[in-house]
Amino acid sequence: MGELEALDLLLGLALVALAWRLLAAPDLFEGIVLFVTFGLLLSFAWVRLGAPDVALAEAAIGAGLTGALLLDARGAMPGASVEGPARLRWPVAVLAAATGGVLVAAVLTLPAAPAGLEGAVAARLEESGVAHPVTAVLLNFRGYDTLLELGVLWLAWLAVAAAGPRPDPRPELRPDLRAEAPTGPVLAALVSQLVPLLILVGAYLLWAGAHAPGGAFQAGAILAGGGVLLRLSGVPLPEAARAAPVVGLGFALFLGVGLAQAAAGRRFLELLPAQAHDLLVLVEVAATVSIAAVLAALFAGRRSVS
Amino acid sequence: MTLATWYALVGALLAALGLHGAVVRRHLLRKVLALNLAASGVFLLLVAPGARGPTTDPVPQAMVITGIVVAVSASALAIWLARRLHAETGRAALPDAEDDRA
Amino acid sequence: MPEPVVVAVTAPLALALAASLLGGRRGRWPGLLAAAAVVAAVALLTRDVVAHGPVRHQVGGWGAPLGIDLFVDGLALLFLWLSAGVGAAATVYATAYFHDDEAAGAFWPAWLTLWGGLQAVFVTADLFNAYVGLELLGLAAVALVALGGGRAIGAATRYLLVSMLGSLLYLLGVALLYAAHGTLDLSRLAAAAGEDGLERAALAAMLAGLLFKTAIVPLHAWLPPAHADAPGPASAVLSALVVKATLYLALRLWTALPGLATAGWLVGALGAAAVLWGGLHALRAPRLKLLVAYSTVGQLGYVLLAFPLLPSSAAVAGAAYQALAHGVAKAALFLAASTVLRAAGGDRLDDLRGLGHRLPVTAVAFGLAGASIVGLPPSGGFVAKWLLLTAAVRAGAWWVVLVIALGGLLAAAYVLRVVGRSLAPAHAGAPPLKAPRRLEWTALALALASVALGLVAAWPLALLEGLAP
Repeated sequence: MGELEALDLLLGLALVALAWRLLAAPDLFEGIVLFVTFGLLLSFAWVRLGAPDVALAEAAIGAGLTGALLLDARGAMPGASVEGPARLRWPVAVLAAATGGVLVAAVLTLPAAPAGLEGAVAARLEESGVAHPVTAVLLNFRGYDTLLELGVLWLAWLAVAAAGPRPDPRPELRPDLRAEAPTGPVLAALVSQLVPLLILVGAYLLWAGAHAPGGAFQAGAILAGGGVLLRLSGVPLPEAARAAPVVGLGFALFLGVGLAQAAAGRRFLELLPAQAHDLLVLVEVAATVSIAAVLAALFAGRRSVS
Repeated sequence: MTLATWYALVGALLAALGLHGAVVRRHLLRKVLALNLAASGVFLLLVAPGARGPTTDPVPQAMVITGIVVAVSASALAIWLARRLHAETGRAALPDAEDDRA
Repeated sequence: MPEPVVVAVTAPLALALAASLLGGRRGRWPGLLAAAAVVAAVALLTRDVVAHGPVRHQVGGWGAPLGIDLFVDGLALLFLWLSAGVGAAATVYATAYFHDDEAAGAFWPAWLTLWGGLQAVFVTADLFNAYVGLELLGLAAVALVALGGGRAIGAATRYLLVSMLGSLLYLLGVALLYAAHGTLDLSRLAAAAGEDGLERAALAAMLAGLLFKTAIVPLHAWLPPAHADAPGPASAVLSALVVKATLYLALRLWTALPGLATAGWLVGALGAAAVLWGGLHALRAPRLKLLVAYSTVGQLGYVLLAFPLLPSSAAVAGAAYQALAHGVAKAALFLAASTVLRAAGGDRLDDLRGLGHRLPVTAVAFGLAGASIVGLPPSGGFVAKWLLLTAAVRAGAWWVVLVIALGGLLAAAYVLRVVGRSLAPAHAGAPPLKAPRRLEWTALALALASVALGLVAAWPLALLEGLAP
């Protein structure tokens, strides 16, 4: 990768300072806003490290959606943003400092020569059905991880949206659960401009993922961002976005593709090179739809269900 | 110092800061914030050493994308639980000990 | 047909999706199908391993280190059988446990996903894949606890935060190991790894994370409320199976990578503290399910007592057999306790008087499984503790012997608290109790199995002896 530049030193120091500041911020709102800033700066760090795919995922999911979820929750938990006295402050500080020290020492002992798998990935990239190495690892070489991860995402939706409690006491009476939106002309205009753009960007990322940075997760997150905007502006999400068939689609399809290979006498998830491209495109489209639906539904949370 | 070492060091510090915050902070949303910071630190530690060569190792990049999705899933669940807890008890923090309640 | 190792993982996951589509109490049909598929797959897998030795399956056909390998040997089989047996029993129990569609509709997909995640952890040879499996299993477990509603929400929140923290510590270690060796496959790492500082730091972080998620004293406070407040079948699988996944990985790491061998006494000391602490709290617990949950804290400690004695084969066998025997007995105890809670509307220990007459099958199940927890012969718990004692005596670790003896006394005392009250005459006018027969008999079946594990111990131990690396 590139040389270490002054920019990197500044970026790294800013990340650590922001992290410190946002944890210590007396106001939770300030903390969350700083967290979103942190995520955006971190995306630059990913680009500097030659990992634009991670940068996209970080900006869309890490900073964007997690920040939106936190801000939304803060609004729904009024009067509770007072922080009590920190507990076990010093013993934990000593432990954390020791952990940090050990980690720093371990990093400094790493040999200068890389020990990774870039060579192995490059050697078999052609058999994977996609031309972009990160997408090849994500969907094929380590597709099994991604399959289980789609399961995690589906399960989070299940727990939040479906695995409801015996209904919350009269949700319609609770202001925090009402799907009420701060609609105004500016927001409405913004949404009507932004949502089509987000859909275009999402579609582009999905398409680009096969040969350039991008892919299902980033595209799904962008589409989910459109869903979040729609919700914020008071447009109800279509029922289908919350229905089980849509949110489970990516997980189900990938699992089905994997088992079909095993049923045909190959290993689980072993795709024939000739079919790999088409099957992976199918899986990616399904995954994008699921990811967008799950992430948007996670944001909408229980409000949309009640 | 190289680019790889520098960002790995930043990752180590972020991980330690985040883990500390996750334990000492009491407000549940702050705990979620801290855990996400710690996760970012761990992710840097995964990818940065792969930037020692001429190109960046794609395998840890894919692992981190998986990790980011896992983290947002877990965070969403934690935030939802925090909201329910707040709705039911009016508190945004866990009580100190609830071991021996009858 | 897909290979058995693939079916063992994917059948519960695919059927979880089916249960979610069907919704409500209809999820029990995919549930029962998953139970049949898992038991059959593990049986076939056992046949393969006995005939040809450990099974390795290259997912995607790539092969480690580029791809992810699955690996099943005797140790993995022991845990797979634990998961298959207890999981099947909990599934049958759950078909009669949930009254209403909403709770059942939330339970079935979450439980089946949890089961798939558990199997995924037991069969993986890849450290990052194990992380994803642990997350799948962990989020599903939290979802199950949250089903309890009310008080369980706080317990679920605490559980999730601890679980996230533990996972990050584990991943920290994975990152360091990958940076140093460029592989995530455990057997390749075992061949490449040395005992330098980086290795030790990585192992320490991973082990701390895993033990955190296993609720080892002093990181145990999250477990008792989470396990006690969850719905019945969920309590059983959480206490019997979920904490075993992290324990299994810890055991695997410890035996494969030598970096921390000298720190075994530290893990053993934590185990000793857990045995005593868990036992003492179980003695004081006011509610039956809380007592059973504290017993888990103590019983997990026994497994850690084996760490300073590793890699002796008696210690490996003792640790694995304790995990197995505790799992089966603890599932029986939780199912029995949940039947009491449901039939009587409460589980305060003082209200258990006369249980022996009012719910005899459940009382017998509790007594038999309790005997295995105490370690009375001829139960599975007895064999496990005997193996641990043998390993300790051979190594001259007398403090381990002392802790095992004290732990046994404590366990006897808290089991007698329950059994003594069940045998006492009921309060005058106490209403007779009724429970669906399926609830009572599944608990009894598991309790009988926990005793039988002592009688047929030779077979699982041979699996372990002959095949352990």
